[in-house]
Amino acid sequence: MLTAENLALVRGHRPVLTDVSARLEPGTITAIVGPNGAGKSSLLLALAGLLPAQSGAVTLDGRALANLGLSERARQIGYLPQTPDIAWDVAAEKLIALGRLPHGDDGHAAVAAAITALALEPLRARPVSQLSGGERARVLLARVLAGEPAWILADEPLAALDLAHQLNLIAHFKACARGGQGVVLVLHDLALAMNHASRVLVLHEGALVADGPPDIALAPAVIEKVWGVAIQWLGEPGRKALSPV
Amino acid sequence: MNRAVWVFAGLLALLLPLSLLAGRVWIDPFDVAGSGPNAAIILMELRLPRAILAVVIGAGLGAAGAAMQGYLRNPLADPGLFGIAPMAALGAVASFWFGAALPVPPQWSLPLMALAGAMLGMVALALIAGRGVSDGAGSVGSGLALFTLAGLMIASLAGALTALAITLAPNAFALSQIVLWLNGALTDRSWHEVWLAAPLVALGLGVLAAAGRSLDALTLGEEAARSLGVDPKRLLALLVAGVGLTVGASVAVAGIIGFVGLIVPHLVRPLTDRMPSSLMLPSALAGACLVLAADSIVRILPLVTELRLGIALSLIGAPFFLWLLLRLRRGQV
Amino acid sequence: MEAPGNVAARPAIVSLNPCLDAILVAIAPPEQVLALSHYSRDPASSSLPPQARARFAFTGGTAEEVLAAAPDLVLASTFIEPATRDAFERLGIRVATFGAPATVADSITQVRAVAELTGNAAQGERLIAAMAAATRPDPAARPIPTLLWQPGQIVPGEQTLIADLLRRHGFANFAAARGLGQADYVALESLLAAPPAVLLVAGDSAGQSHPLLTRLKDTRVEPFAGNLINCGGPSVMAASTRLRAIRAGLE
Repeated sequence: MLTAENLALVRGHRPVLTDVSARLEPGTITAIVGPNGAGKSSLLLALAGLLPAQSGAVTLDGRALANLGLSERARQIGYLPQTPDIAWDVAAEKLIALGRLPHGDDGHAAVAAAITALALEPLRARPVSQLSGGERARVLLARVLAGEPAWILADEPLAALDLAHQLNLIAHFKACARGGQGVVLVLHDLALAMNHASRVLVLHEGALVADGPPDIALAPAVIEKVWGVAIQWLGEPGRKALSPV
Repeated sequence: MNRAVWVFAGLLALLLPLSLLAGRVWIDPFDVAGSGPNAAIILMELRLPRAILAVVIGAGLGAAGAAMQGYLRNPLADPGLFGIAPMAALGAVASFWFGAALPVPPQWSLPLMALAGAMLGMVALALIAGRGVSDGAGSVGSGLALFTLAGLMIASLAGALTALAITLAPNAFALSQIVLWLNGALTDRSWHEVWLAAPLVALGLGVLAAAGRSLDALTLGEEAARSLGVDPKRLLALLVAGVGLTVGASVAVAGIIGFVGLIVPHLVRPLTDRMPSSLMLPSALAGACLVLAADSIVRILPLVTELRLGIALSLIGAPFFLWLLLRLRRGQV
Repeated sequence: MEAPGNVAARPAIVSLNPCLDAILVAIAPPEQVLALSHYSRDPASSSLPPQARARFAFTGGTAEEVLAAAPDLVLASTFIEPATRDAFERLGIRVATFGAPATVADSITQVRAVAELTGNAAQGERLIAAMAAATRPDPAARPIPTLLWQPGQIVPGEQTLIADLLRRHGFANFAAARGLGQADYVALESLLAAPPAVLLVAGDSAGQSHPLLTRLKDTRVEPFAGNLINCGGPSVMAASTRLRAIRAGLE
């Protein structure tokens, strides 16, 4: 259980999160949504233990994250940043193997499993500069998976991808959740959140304004209040689309 | 062990005996005793310590360059950027004035004050840049940007104070000493310098090696690296200590020798898997080869006095840097 | 013949050159010397004794300091800037220039000239007599091949004052024998490959302070103060004393 308790975060005199509390369950996909500047990335960083809160705490299985050692925390929580920022043109499998750092071992089995899970076998020796955007996104996710973390926190992992790659990656996240890992995704696309997350947290100006299953958290009333647009949801559950009224 | 290690270890094994033949005086390797009076002394007391010192300094500067480029995630980084070398130089220059006040034999006052300068630079860097190190409090990348800026500021301050020291030189003789020394050279060094520099460089290399895995994680970016458990403060401390020791020891015994840390990782990178930790040992070996080769060449160039090693490396390094920039612009690095 | 006590009749002098400073201090009364050169203030490059330094004023060598002192005569080296020299003469200040003496005889001639110009002929002759006595060569002395290693690891040529002094005291010019001339550079390795019997070290480069110089079997290494090389005049005596001491230590 990954829990945020009354988190308040200030970044350079600006309050970024005010009194945010949430309890996240393993084996589920939780989406964090909100307009730009709502504090989504900051909340994810705080949940990952990468951004200290001014008040409140993040706890993992009852223990405060701040009290965990760096390696222990890294073993439990895998974090996928928004912008891939790969410094050196290394082979895909070397990049993926970096995920084993918290464990301090080569973890060949875990790395191989991650490569297989994301269908990266034919690409393992290729330098990252020669990978497409979608392939690179899979490699970076494989890096997180190679660490075998209990939690996967990803900041807008689908943003720059083509539709096919988006759906592909979502399928992988679902597989992770089915396998017992907890998945938390910051998403920009509300339809993706509606259709694939089992729980949605809506942030508005640093405060949590909705928390629950997507039908409730992303109801038109909430969306109108937070995004200022009147919309309606069209389509079957799991295949819904957003349409302005 | 990657290819690069074998290549440069082999090259070094070849260069080392060849370098013992380089000098104004011809010594027949198969008939040392018959090559004139003092030939054995020339070999054992002049050329051998000099060659070993070239290897030690080259290894330190090469590894420091690889570590710097890994930390700054930028192939244009050079240890000189951090201000450690200019601070060491400032310490050495200050020894011309204050060295007599130290309770050590006079020939040790310069190296000790150079090391003190390097330590001071390290501490200043850690204090200034350490506050910006990502505990998440700053924006992404502010840690590295602050580090680079702090290093540049320390470098320019040290340079300005050194220039001031030059204008305040008590006489023309001291002035020429300072200027000569600032352009690094290995001329006529002895085993004393080897015993001073070698342990410090070895220690520095060990410290840098300890940072290897964390530097690897930085490939993914600061945030991702921290999420993998990298402690940015510890990494900064290791880097500053490692670079301070290797570069400080080099400046202490030889003056300022630049460009090695910039050039060498580039020569090495294509032969490795490009991960920062894989670069360090080959960069040390390649740096040793570069400095040894350059020093051997300056010894046999038929100029009136020996061309100073620092100048020779700048003559090689500056065009190389330009070529690198052009390649970078064309997106090929 | 001037009256020894009549300082007022002698020209007031400013010197801009350390070697001329030393001559002046030896032969002229302090009241006559308005200022010496700034080089003489620094113990490392000056050949003046400390008590002498305390009694004189110094200029930094700028024209306005000299003008402010209002001397009758300025003594300088031949390398004084032409513009500066013209400026002095325009203002009615005489300038007398002197080159570096190439032999002891040259130095004696120079001392005599300075003495005449400044009205101190008797004192000049006393100094000259002391110089001649100090530098009298010993014909029985067997010349020992010697190399004088100056700052920057260069050697003096045959036509220099220090070479003349070395000859007079029984030191043969090893550098000249090896075909080296004035200001030629000698690397430590070259020195070791063809070592002289005596090595006089007057600089402190890395090679000149190298530890192995203390361990050479066939070469006697002796330090030699740099400020004994630069000037003629009184320092000829100090140089001679040092050379005689070295020579005595070799026997």
